[in-house]
Amino acid sequence: MKQVLLSKTFRGDQVSATKQHPFYKMLTVLVLVLWTVAVLYPLIWTLLGALKDNQQFMLGKPWALPKFPLLWSNFTYVWETYGFGSYFLNSTIVTGASTLISLLLASTSAYILARFAFKGSGALYNLYLSAMMIPMILGLIPLFFLLNDLHLINKLFGLIVVYTASALPFGIFVLVGFFKTLPKELEEAASIDGAGYSRTYFTVMLPLAKSGLVSVGIMNALNIWNEYIMGTVFINDPSQYTLPVGIAIMQSEMQYRTEWGPLFAGLLLSMIPVIIIYVVFQRQIAEGVTAGAVK
Amino acid sequence: MSQRAKRKFFIAAFIIPTLVFFCVFTLYPIFRGIYISFFDWSGSAKNMDFIGLDNFHELLKDPIIWTAIKNDYFLVVGKVIGILLLATLFAIAITRLNIRGSSFYRVIFFIPNIISVVVIGVLWRYVYNPNMGFINSFLSLFKSEQVQTAWLGQENTAMWSLLWPSIWAGIGFYMILLIAAILSIPSELYEAADLDGASQGRQFWSVTLPLIWEQMKVSILHIVMTTLNGSFIIVWIMTEGGPDNATQVMGSYLYQMGFRQYHMGYAAAIGVLILILSFITTIVLQRLLRRETIELA
Repeated sequence: MKQVLLSKTFRGDQVSATKQHPFYKMLTVLVLVLWTVAVLYPLIWTLLGALKDNQQFMLGKPWALPKFPLLWSNFTYVWETYGFGSYFLNSTIVTGASTLISLLLASTSAYILARFAFKGSGALYNLYLSAMMIPMILGLIPLFFLLNDLHLINKLFGLIVVYTASALPFGIFVLVGFFKTLPKELEEAASIDGAGYSRTYFTVMLPLAKSGLVSVGIMNALNIWNEYIMGTVFINDPSQYTLPVGIAIMQSEMQYRTEWGPLFAGLLLSMIPVIIIYVVFQRQIAEGVTAGAVK
Repeated sequence: MSQRAKRKFFIAAFIIPTLVFFCVFTLYPIFRGIYISFFDWSGSAKNMDFIGLDNFHELLKDPIIWTAIKNDYFLVVGKVIGILLLATLFAIAITRLNIRGSSFYRVIFFIPNIISVVVIGVLWRYVYNPNMGFINSFLSLFKSEQVQTAWLGQENTAMWSLLWPSIWAGIGFYMILLIAAILSIPSELYEAADLDGASQGRQFWSVTLPLIWEQMKVSILHIVMTTLNGSFIIVWIMTEGGPDNATQVMGSYLYQMGFRQYHMGYAAAIGVLILILSFITTIVLQRLLRRETIELA
């Protein structure tokens, strides 16, 4: 039912609309257009800035278009000199691994919580749920010392571990809801065919849950790709920086070495993958947003 | 193995790894954080002195924490009002007003939500930059002399300047939520309202708002939670709590105390304060926002 509803929702269908006063309608359109500018202009401005040299920044004409020849070299400069190449690689490794591991851990538990009632299963579900309401910043200090004891500080693996853990409650919450919507007959048929529990899960249920897994995976991947605070606390070795950490460091160095063009190029580089993901998976993202917040 | 034993084994195999992971890396740090808040501790293994509630006593006397709490709630109130007004307006416009290109607006308005807070913070820092940013040069168009306001550098403008990018970055998410809520309202209700001659405004107050109230409530609570727990990142990137602690929020103060000045116990106490205030605020709001919810079968 929910799936039907959501897919209708995000194909851009409109519900029947009432006639309204043309003046108010024009006013609304004006607001929409203004907000479009407010959203897009800072991004376009970043692109323009990424193609300028310092002299053009100092002119005090932020509206001006970059002069020719465009400084595309700003991009190669941050990629090589500032280590954005390695930040990019680190972010990709951490995001990919954490997303996959958390999907595995969340989906298995979610399947049990949705289908196999046992003593305490309700309490366990509530425990995961309540973790979404607790300010995680309180755990930041102990987590630092825990990772330190485990020798996981300054290691990408350490970040993968904490990101995986932080992605679990959301994944469990959404996937429990998802598994509950799947018809039980399929499992019964599989068990009549003699498939064991885990084979039923991996060959029948998991493929059916694909769209739920995709939504959860993308939401978590976006959050992890963008995560800053744990990255900056748990990683101090420049060769292990993720993109947000690298950008923050670069920004703080701007007081000593002014390289605005490369900084803007770096901002843009870090946005490109998420914007591509957004364009491709727009509908799944919208579904992830609604699935996470419907209580 | 008997069928029952198999079932038990299967349940355990699927539940336990996740639970262990969750307990070690999520639950344990939270409880450990509460524990540390009763100690005087710089982070080194040896000197960890139990001091009871002293950290909290000190916290109450610390003028910076009061500024931080005030700033946190400034952001909470500002974001709730700003985000919900605009997100509701946009959601209505996109679903109910028959505006051409409505899905274009929906797609564009969500973009800031997928960008890292760090990128947003750095970007807006330059937007506000007195010389290089476009805010001042835009304002200069309307004035005879060049505007030179250091938006993030002076106490009376800094918090407002932090609020704007927070709203900018937050709207899309709640707009999507409200769009979904509005689209799940049966169109017969609007048709009936049309037949009765109800105006667009009337329909909003009598049909749309009561039926999306649940999602509005969820949105408000979600904004409150995410702001109290996460607003410090944008603050840290844009002002580091300055000038002179004027933009400090609880989270940034925790970070500074813990990882810059190594007062781990004190920082943990700030964390406990955030936890307590989040709970209180959530409970109070849930009371205030309670209203007959209308369930459509």
